Amino acid sequence: MSSVILRNVNKSYGNLPIVKNLNLEVKDGEFVVLVGPSGCGKSTTLRMVAGLEDITQGDIQIGQRAINDLPPHKRNIAMVFQNYALYPHMSVRENIVFGLKKSGADAETIKQKLADVSEMLKLDDYLDRKPADLSGGQRQRVAMGRALARDADVYLFDEPLSNLDAKLRHHMRSEIARIQHQYNMTAIYVTHDQIEAMTLGDRVVVMRDGIVEQVGTPMDIYLQPTNTFVATFIGSPAMNLFEATIDGDDLVFDQYRIPASKIANVDLHDLGSHDTVLVGIRPDFFEDSALSSPSDNLFEFNDIQVDLVENLGFDKEIMFKLGGEDAKARLDLRSHVKRQEHISLSVDLNRVLLFDTSPQGMLINAGEV
Amino acid sequence: MMNKRTPIQSVILYALVFALVIFCVFPFLQILSTSLKHPIDWGNPSLIPRVLHLDAYKELLGLMPVKEVDVPASIQRLLDNPALSAEKKQMLLAKFSSGSDVFPFGRYMLNTFVISFVTGICSTFLASLAAYAIARLRFPAQSLMANGVLFVYMVGGVLLMVPLYQMSVNVGLASSAGGTIFSLFLIYLIQTLPVAMYMLGNYFRTIPFSLEEAAMMDGCSRVEAFWRIIMPLSKPMLFTVFIYCFVIAWNEYLFASVFLKQYQDFQTLPLALQTLFTSKNAIWDRIMAASMLTLLPVVICFMLANKHLSGGLTDGGVKG
Repeated sequence: MSSVILRNVNKSYGNLPIVKNLNLEVKDGEFVVLVGPSGCGKSTTLRMVAGLEDITQGDIQIGQRAINDLPPHKRNIAMVFQNYALYPHMSVRENIVFGLKKSGADAETIKQKLADVSEMLKLDDYLDRKPADLSGGQRQRVAMGRALARDADVYLFDEPLSNLDAKLRHHMRSEIARIQHQYNMTAIYVTHDQIEAMTLGDRVVVMRDGIVEQVGTPMDIYLQPTNTFVATFIGSPAMNLFEATIDGDDLVFDQYRIPASKIANVDLHDLGSHDTVLVGIRPDFFEDSALSSPSDNLFEFNDIQVDLVENLGFDKEIMFKLGGEDAKARLDLRSHVKRQEHISLSVDLNRVLLFDTSPQGMLINAGEV
Repeated sequence: MMNKRTPIQSVILYALVFALVIFCVFPFLQILSTSLKHPIDWGNPSLIPRVLHLDAYKELLGLMPVKEVDVPASIQRLLDNPALSAEKKQMLLAKFSSGSDVFPFGRYMLNTFVISFVTGICSTFLASLAAYAIARLRFPAQSLMANGVLFVYMVGGVLLMVPLYQMSVNVGLASSAGGTIFSLFLIYLIQTLPVAMYMLGNYFRTIPFSLEEAAMMDGCSRVEAFWRIIMPLSKPMLFTVFIYCFVIAWNEYLFASVFLKQYQDFQTLPLALQTLFTSKNAIWDRIMAASMLTLLPVVICFMLANKHLSGGLTDGGVKG
């Protein structure tokens, strides 16, 4: 295994920049997930590491090797493709050992690896089948097996689960996490699915328009998003943002006055330099006031009219209007709110984030997670 | 939703299809029928011969018993003279055993097969490399090249016949049988390459690029990926292209008639058939049997191509 270092990496097609000045270090044995909306440059970044795309500018290093000018087959990288890319004319067995044979492994090693991988991915019964005779999930496992059988420096995953149904995706997600830990693989994983990003990554890289918006552990990203893009992209349902004016030490929107001094990490002096701020509250941090235990730091939003209730089993999502915006809260099954009911919702002010109103919407009250 | 046909519509449809098939197949039936008729039966308009007569086929395929040479008694006495050298005897005998009515069908067939086979193999190989380059690689003037190649196909052979022959004379190829056959082979190659490239290029485009990328990640260079992934996956189309080139060369008459005119021994079947047609005493069963035997490989080729065209080799490789 090896570390991967991307230094000032740029990629453009003609005059169209795709990846802009990307810097990232993936440590040896680390699982890094690149996440972002379609077209943010995450797959291009992965493909540059793989050598399937040229780098317009910058350096990529694997371990101590600069690999900018190395063709893909000399980089010793294994990759799992979004569309599986299995060799249709070869059996599952041949698919799995293809890379091993190519690397000149001896017969005994090949046999051992094949046995390991097929047992790990439960492919024993399918080894003699052709990919066309497999289901989507089985094909995905073969694609994984083909990569895992290799003794590669780095493993790349390009949205490997996006073609699977929800149940299988969940299962394979756990499998990937387990295998990565077991073999201490250096892995870069691309997805647009934030749940995969949160559950798999040791660190998550959030990208937008070719720029890295934030790099951090999943909890960093969730609790301390650096800007409104990351705040709304990560977390489901997305974080609620309300525009509030600053009146002395209070943040004011609708009939509510939130005491800024009680919000974590707020520098009141600095806050005074803003006229308005965006108040960010995750739906998960709302509580039904009727059920919350009293605390100094709770702020109560009274008289909220529930527009819609979506029952999800343990959770329920409720929709309402706050500060003129559509807002969502996630309450647990103890709460019995109904549509059109007027309720009070509380929020722990330690969990409230403030963003400036610049186009980037930068986090004002950054602090420890 | 499909409309169900009434019985009358079905009858009309099948009658039309049948008529069309008969229209297409009739000339071939006529060839087959005549080739199997005895000379006394040639005037019979029926397609079914009165007696099955296979002599024409036997003769062409060299299965007829060797005729005893009928030598007059006076000459026989001369031949019996031990003083006469063996060489002289041979010369004498040759005068009474004219080979003028022997048609070396096997030789022509071998000529045609060799040149068609070599053309098919070389054209398929070169077309696969060129088609891959045009389908997959990016290089300057790529579309100009791709279209330029097709342009060659649009120019009629008749226009190029004289200049090409002149060229092969100028470079000295036409002065020997080997050189002439080589020029003919080059011409067949040029004739078949455009369509072969077009067919293969279109096929390569249907193979997902990610398969090659996967091979490259697995340690293959681009060239290895081509040989180990693209070529095996393209087997049905490679076979079809080979058949196409083979049949074009097999049936080619125009250039063969110009280039091989002076090399009787190296003539190909279409040319030899033409000689057979225009000979003074047209032996119809032999002409038709020769036509039938010439057709046979083409028919076999198309049947094989049809079988392979079902394709579907790339199924299952990538998520559809």
